[in-house]
Amino acid sequence: MITDFPDRPLPLPDEADLAAELAAFGGGQMIPKELRRTIFPVITKEDVFNLMLAQRSTPEKVVADFAEAYRAYVGANYALPTASGTSSLHLALVGAGVQPGDEVIVPAFTFIATAQAVVAAHAIPVFVDIDPHTYCMDPEAAAAAITDRTRAIMPVHVHGLPADVTALRALADSRGIAFVEDASHAHSAKVAGQVAGSFGDAAGQSLMADKNFPLGGEGGIAFFKEEASYERAVEYVRRHGIDYEMSWVAAAFGASQLKRLPYYDEVRARNAALLGEALNETGLFRAPYVPEGHVHAYNMYRITLRPEEAGLEDLPVWAVKEAVHELLVAEGVPAREWQNTPIPCHLPFQHRLGFGNGYPFTLNPGAVRDHKPEDFPVTLGMLDSTLVLCRELRSPVEYERALRYADAFRKVARRPDAIRKLVEDRDYVRPYEKAARLG
Amino acid sequence: MDLFDTATVLTRVMTSGVVMSIEKSDRELPGLERLLTKKTGRSKAVLLNSRSAAVHAALAGQGIGHGDTVHRPGLAEKDLAFLSWLGISVAQDSPEGTVPAFDHFSLDPANAADLGELAAAATAPALVVDLTGIGFGPAAAVLTDDPKVWARAERLKIFGAYDLRTMWTQQEEAADLVPGVQFNYRLSPLVAACIRMALGQAVRPLTTTGAEK
Repeated sequence: MITDFPDRPLPLPDEADLAAELAAFGGGQMIPKELRRTIFPVITKEDVFNLMLAQRSTPEKVVADFAEAYRAYVGANYALPTASGTSSLHLALVGAGVQPGDEVIVPAFTFIATAQAVVAAHAIPVFVDIDPHTYCMDPEAAAAAITDRTRAIMPVHVHGLPADVTALRALADSRGIAFVEDASHAHSAKVAGQVAGSFGDAAGQSLMADKNFPLGGEGGIAFFKEEASYERAVEYVRRHGIDYEMSWVAAAFGASQLKRLPYYDEVRARNAALLGEALNETGLFRAPYVPEGHVHAYNMYRITLRPEEAGLEDLPVWAVKEAVHELLVAEGVPAREWQNTPIPCHLPFQHRLGFGNGYPFTLNPGAVRDHKPEDFPVTLGMLDSTLVLCRELRSPVEYERALRYADAFRKVARRPDAIRKLVEDRDYVRPYEKAARLG
Repeated sequence: MDLFDTATVLTRVMTSGVVMSIEKSDRELPGLERLLTKKTGRSKAVLLNSRSAAVHAALAGQGIGHGDTVHRPGLAEKDLAFLSWLGISVAQDSPEGTVPAFDHFSLDPANAADLGELAAAATAPALVVDLTGIGFGPAAAVLTDDPKVWARAERLKIFGAYDLRTMWTQQEEAADLVPGVQFNYRLSPLVAACIRMALGQAVRPLTTTGAEK
């Protein structure tokens, strides 16, 4: 039978489980295998019904109605629905005036689509390091990378935390370049009440089904501040024969989901706060940093390790991370690295074949660098010392499940001896010494 | 396909809870791939989210990219514009011994039953089938018998990853499989499921009511 439920409800937290042996060493699992099911996206009967209703409308109207509803929610001036997040970023850049051979500054830590969208626009991604607290683009590093061929900066609201939009906006204005947001993780994320996607001259956002705001499979949306930017993007796809339209099936699903987005956002925020409090009490773990006035969307939840708080400062932090990772997974909390290598060190930006024969990199050889991981020390430091929860916390999970996550971290943090033993027994390597992973 | 059939398919997929193309448990995309390979007689199918994506994949699959020239007479203005955007020149002639870079046709409810015959008439190493006219939004496929064309086209659409299920690493045995520019050209399983039903029904002879059997 198809069901949205795990085999049984999770048992409520129990102090005895915390004191038990670690699952990796033969003890009980904090979340037993058969009870690990987390549903995402949540699909309800009204979603099904709204898709039925959409069949009776025209495809154009279904897509346009969806785009208008979400534009109003975000508070952007103009919206252009697309087939994917990558295509939305491509059109955001084009709308912002990016031309072939231009340089676009992007963070070294993001999903590869951020940089590939720049290449799609026939422009050159210039990579800069991130802020050590927010993991978003470092405005000072961005400022240092601006040349007379820079047309735009494109920060990413990484994991759902808005980048320093005030500093980046000021930087763009002072240098006469465009400010484009990659808001692909940041549905409903806010700074001072303003929603991500509405800060920039343009923005692109993924709406694929593992985003906080999921469409029916695949989708994206570009936002623009000025009508001229919107028109430029519309004219571009027409002139070049590019098919980037959104399917009405994806749009109808999204229109239905949008009504419940604030509800799910609240559950995510509640669970993130609950887990964050528990993590900060452990010493070993630290919850994601959220600057005053920022609302984090928690598409992903990146946890920092502090070995020095657990008497493990003599061990390399990346080895401690690997050991903790192994222990958490054994407890039934599927933590992830979510990337292990700076994007400029991924094969497409080492080989730089582009569309073929090196285009568009050949247009502007001066912008091209042969990067090594060490060029991005803050990114490396973050990759060495952090772990990520993805769907486990993106899903509006039950209160007792969030409590059990917290207990799994508490249980592991109580056992620096076990962490030390794993580090001694295993041959861990630094994250970027493994094959580059997309996610 | 009538509204009731579409409703049934959409409800079935939404009830499964799997609407994302990179889900390991998705069955809809492989289902449409199987149907297309069977009906066209090609060994491999690449599903994409639009016609221009499929044209891109058909060319990139053959290693054709910026600065190259293809022989392909009879392309419409829109396709010519797209190839120009890819940086590929088009020669309108077809000299002795050359095969067209790709063949293409579009399916809609009126000709969906002719898929097999249309595919049989195609000779190029990559066949682009535009499925947008079936009615569920932009969708297309590349059909090929060449495993390398298939492997490269798949990687173009998912950021260089092997396939939808092991997405997330680009480590390859053959370096020339990793695309330079990479896109998300993935098709939604919901859309794929609807297209599969429409194509499946298109070949069946018309049935009337059970009482007349």
